[in-house]
Amino acid sequence: MIDSRTDITAVEERVVAAFMDRLRTAPLPVSPRMPGADVLWLKARLIRQWDAQRKVRRPIELMEPLELAAGVMAAGLLLAWALPSAFEWIPRLIF
Amino acid sequence: MLAEHAFGEFYQRHARSVWTYVYRVTNDAADADDIVQEAFLRLFQTDVPSDNEALRRYVFRIAGNLIADRWRRKVRDERQAHEAVDGREPQAHDIDVARTFAELKPRERALLWLAYVEGGTHADIAESLRLARGSVKVLLSRARARLRDLLTARGIERLGNDR
Repeated sequence: MIDSRTDITAVEERVVAAFMDRLRTAPLPVSPRMPGADVLWLKARLIRQWDAQRKVRRPIELMEPLELAAGVMAAGLLLAWALPSAFEWIPRLIF
Repeated sequence: MLAEHAFGEFYQRHARSVWTYVYRVTNDAADADDIVQEAFLRLFQTDVPSDNEALRRYVFRIAGNLIADRWRRKVRDERQAHEAVDGREPQAHDIDVARTFAELKPRERALLWLAYVEGGTHADIAESLRLARGSVKVLLSRARARLRDLLTARGIERLGNDR
């Protein structure tokens, strides 16, 4: 008795193989719309270039917010340091 | 990395067969276009095997992985994709063949295609589909049995022989 789940007879195996062969040679209802090898080559080169650029830019991009934060902090400190003496100077300049 | 000339030759030689495999498994020409393009582009991202046959298997493996990724994303659309066949059909038998095959699950289609059309060994198929080598034999038997059941149910078990 054949296990209907997985076991197949030799005849059935031939039928399956013949079916797959028929499928292999059956014309496709659609055609591939793929680029030519030269286009793909160019695309790969561009992707490689972009990747390389991204790799070089990454540390700069990472440092940008840190630089900004450090700048703001320095400006704040400078302001805190200069503000008391500025308050002393402003009345003298006005009067 | 591949030289331009070697890549061009390899692409010309194998792009069509990879496309046909992907198309038969996904049943979607646009997906097949994207996947094949992506698979060949990946050849530039890593060190690839130098011998042609290994490189061919490698492309099939990448394509298999990309198909698997898309299955996960497109499980819901699967049924709809099965019906996406355009009107320029060749022969009634060919349509029957394609439709019968499309009734199988994507993984079953991939297993059968790699085994019968590409002539892959269990090891090759396991590699292409990210399966354990031991599972391939069992899954392939099940896929074969499913196809047999479909052929029997549709009364087209002689389809392969009556050209």
